[in-house]
Parts: sequence; C-alpha cells; structure tokens
Amino acid sequence: MESASTASHDDTILRTVGLTKHFGKLEAVRDLNIELRRGEVFGFLGPNGAGKSTTVGMILGLVAPTAGRIELFGQELAKDRWAALRRIGAMIEEPAFYSYLSGWDNLEVLARAIGGIARSRITEVLDRVSLLNRAQDRYGHYSMGMKQRLGIASTLLRDPELIILDEPASGLDPAGTREVRDLLPELAHESRAVLLCSHLLHEVEQVCDRVAIIKQGVMLASAPIRELLKRGMTFQIRVADPPRAAEILTALPWVEAVRVESDNLIVDAPQDSASEINRALAEHGVFASELVSRSPSLESVFLQLTGPDSHD
Amino acid sequence: MIRLLNAELFKLRRRLVTRVLLFVLIGITAAACFVLLAISRAFITGPGLDMTQGGAGAVNPLGLPMALPIALSIASSLGVVLAVILSASSIGSEYSWRTLRTMLICSEGRLKLLGAKLLAVAILVLTGMVIGLATGFVTSLVTTAIGEYAFDFGFASGQFLWDQFLQFWRVFYVLIPYMLLGFLFAIVARSVMPGLAMSIGVFFLEPIAAAFMVTARGWVARIPNYLLSANVRVITSTGGPLQLITAETESGVLSRSPTTAQAFLTVALYSLAFIAVAFYLFRRRDVTG
Repeated sequence: MESASTASHDDTILRTVGLTKHFGKLEAVRDLNIELRRGEVFGFLGPNGAGKSTTVGMILGLVAPTAGRIELFGQELAKDRWAALRRIGAMIEEPAFYSYLSGWDNLEVLARAIGGIARSRITEVLDRVSLLNRAQDRYGHYSMGMKQRLGIASTLLRDPELIILDEPASGLDPAGTREVRDLLPELAHESRAVLLCSHLLHEVEQVCDRVAIIKQGVMLASAPIRELLKRGMTFQIRVADPPRAAEILTALPWVEAVRVESDNLIVDAPQDSASEINRALAEHGVFASELVSRSPSLESVFLQLTGPDSHD
Repeated sequence: MIRLLNAELFKLRRRLVTRVLLFVLIGITAAACFVLLAISRAFITGPGLDMTQGGAGAVNPLGLPMALPIALSIASSLGVVLAVILSASSIGSEYSWRTLRTMLICSEGRLKLLGAKLLAVAILVLTGMVIGLATGFVTSLVTTAIGEYAFDFGFASGQFLWDQFLQFWRVFYVLIPYMLLGFLFAIVARSVMPGLAMSIGVFFLEPIAAAFMVTARGWVARIPNYLLSANVRVITSTGGPLQLITAETESGVLSRSPTTAQAFLTVALYSLAFIAVAFYLFRRRDVTG
C-alpha cells in the first residue's frame, strides 16, 4: 500500500480513506485506500464484479459510501461535490449518450450543463479524438469505437485535472487502441491524473505508472507497476541435474519456491540473488549452463493475485 | 440551475417525441373543430339555430369565441396524456439509455437536475398549450370561412380575454399532478412505461372508480372529493357552470363537489406529495448499472 506521506499534499488529486460500500448484505467495497497523484496514470484493476465501478461511482458521487471518505483536490467530496466534479472528466463502464443527437450535439448538451465551455472547445476535443469529421452524424449510427472516442472527448470537455476512464479501449480497432494508449500518458503529462479501469492488461502495463488490484471489494495490491512486476520476478536456471539443483536451492532460506519445468528450474527468489544462487549451486558441484531472470507480465501477476485461491 | 435547464430544453427540443406530441396536439385540436363543425352542420337544426345554412349574417357557434374554450378543453383532456408522456419520458428515458450518470457527472446536484427537468417539461407543456390555442384560433377562422359565417370579433373584450387567460392557467394547474405522478413513477421504476401507465391509468380509471363510490352509501361516497378527478373537474369548470356530484349519504345529507378553494388545495397537496417523494427518491438512491 502506498503511504499517503510519500507524496506532497499538492500532488495528491484523489485519496480514499477506508472507503466501504454495502449493497444490502453484499459488501461491494471494503476499506479501500487509494491515492492518485498529479501527472500519473493509475491503473485500477480487478475481475468483473470486483468493485471497480462501485468505487468510481463513489468518487463521482453517484453511489453513497457506507463508510470512509473521499478527498478530491485536498477537499472532502461530501463538502462540495460540484466544486470537485467540475475538475473531473469521467466515462464509466461504457459511453452513454443520446442516440437521437449527433456527436457534436451530445457534447453541446454536456457543455451547456457544465457551463462556461466555448463551442471551440467542442471542436478541439473532437479533433483530439479524431472524430471531428463525423461530428454531425447521429450518435446512434456510431460504431463502438466511435462511441468510445466520443466518451473520451466528453471527459476532456472541461479540461479536467482528473480523468476517469473505464475501459476506454474497448471496441477500438488496433489503431484506435494505440491512439488511446498514446493519449493517456500525454494527458497525464499535462499535469493531470488519469484513473484507468481496464481489462486490457497489456495496455495497462504499457501506460500506467501505478496500479491497484482489487477483488471482491478488497485491495490485493497497490504499487508502482515496475515494483509489482519485480515482486513476481523468477530465475530460470538450466542445469544437468534439475532435481539435485532443486534440492540444494530449496534448502536456502531466502528462496521462496523452486519448481522443475523440463530441463529448467524456475526459482522464486529476491531480484538481486542471482550470484548467490550461482554460488550455492557451484559449492555443491552443480553448475548452471544458463541463468536468466524472468519478469512476469502484469497479466500473470493479476491472475496470480486474483485467482481462485487468492482471496476468500 | 439555468445551465441545466438550458441543456434540458436543448435535448427536449431535439427529441422526436416532442415534435410528434406537438403534431398530435395540433392535429387533434384542428380535427376536433372540423368534426364538430361537420356534425353540427349535419344534425343541429332548430328555431334560430339552423347550422346547415351559413351566410354572412350567421354566427358560427363552433368558431370564435367558442374555439378557445374548446381548445383549452382538449388541452385539459388529451393534453394530460401528452404532458404525461413528455414528463415521464424526460426522466425515464435517462434511465433506459443509461445517460443519467453522464448527466449527473455534469450536474451541480441531483435536485437541481430534477428541478431543471421539471421546469423544461413545464415550459414545453405551456408552449404546447399556446400552440394548441393558436391552432384552435386558426381553425375557427377556417371553419368560419368554410361555413360562410360572419367574422365577428366583438366577443374579444377585456373580460373574455381575462377569462381565457385564467382558464389557460387553470388547465395548466390541473395538468401538474398528472405530470408529476408520471415523473414520480418513472423514477420509482427507473423506466418510462410505469410512469405512463400509472399516470394515464389514474387519469382514466379514477373517474370511473369515483363514479362507483359516489353511488355507494356512507363515507365511501365522500372519498372522490379527496381524489384528483373530482377536484380537477371543479377547477376546470370554474369558468363555466359547476357540475356538482351529488349522492345521498347514510345521514341523508347530500354530498357535494368540493369547493373551488378545496379543489385547488387538494390538487396542490397531491402535486407537493408527488414532487416530494420524487425528489427524495432521486436524491437518496445510488445510480448504478
């Protein structure tokens, strides 16, 4: 868990403290603490029904927390919801707009509701998501990808400091997915923060600075993405006698696990222990012909954390 | 609030259903005038009331000035259905299309959004009523011309216009509880149809149930005085001869229609109750899914 004290107060855009939500007897979110800082893309991951959308709903004031509090831009959300929401752009779950209106008119409705948004801003955001040439088409005639683009455009309307996107690349073609992937860090570098909920873990791995993984409403991990991947780092060792090598390494106190995969040993051990492993094997007359460190993908970390045995 | 009202009016203006409802209102108002004219010309004859013959000296009793009360009468009957469709769909569709979240994120507050929706619907209903009146006026000119009746605008005194102005607002006043009932049940069920069904159902079925109650003896006969339909009828007939509902109670005393003041108060209480529950539910409930 990231400590709140590690970031300066000014940089913290969003902080949840002990956030909890019950729907009747169902505990959708339990004691959730997350913190989002300016300039970062934060991945919020979890399997279906993990509580991501409920959490986002609470952040946006759509769902009332059962317990805990939400601080946005240093102020408690409950005190002045609109002051906070004016600085947020959000697209939850899937883009939802009026099918009888054009893309442009949909953004105009939102611009009128928010107030103080010039028509040139609508042009600007539509251009940014490459939808300007189809702006006058009815939303109902848009493809899924175009709907997603309009959803992203709507989040940018008020030049927000916090952008919340739920599955923004869903339904996009590879080129569109890449555009979104390039857009997110770009947005974060404009002194905003981006909260990204996604199942496309490969994309998350490429764009996010930090991630939080939840399951059944409980936070399983929250860390910078590199740190999270390091935690799951393993060593792949090729030796002539894998069972003997496994026996030697299993006896070492800092080795977490050893398993044999054909001619290779897969060893879970601290990241900086490669030379120690090599020395231990050599001392017992076993020599490694190959020793490589293997970083896990975010997907494997995610599956490991959220698998059936991870939290019950 | 003004911003949200602006957005709501923009949406409603562009909706197909709004335009369809307006065309239905115009069509039925005009059609009613023409049908009544045709019927009167075909069947109503009598000493001094020979409608089968026009002539420059004759007055068209279905033209002006009667066209305006007829148009208002249509507004208070058919208008209820149209207004309920507009009010229930203004919030119910947001649930169905899942656009409520999108709007809430851009709204200053839930109550302001709901208030803006109701105001937008009220503005469109008032606009529709004005257009309905204009349709009645234009149609009456046409029927007068068709029937070769005299164009006599002598009726347009200050008193007549004031009476019609008051009647216009009375009709709008009695639309309000039905609109709010439709609005409330669209929120309760998060859908348009329950709002429509409940409000239109009450509008059509309550008078039938009330008629049965009136024929019953005892305290049951007095219940209709506290329902919407009897009070609405009292308000809309304030400008003309009051229709009294009478029934013999157990004590032998005749129960009468509510007084005008009671009717206004009862309708106001219903409206306040509907709007209060609607706002309470909308504010309290989580918006998910």
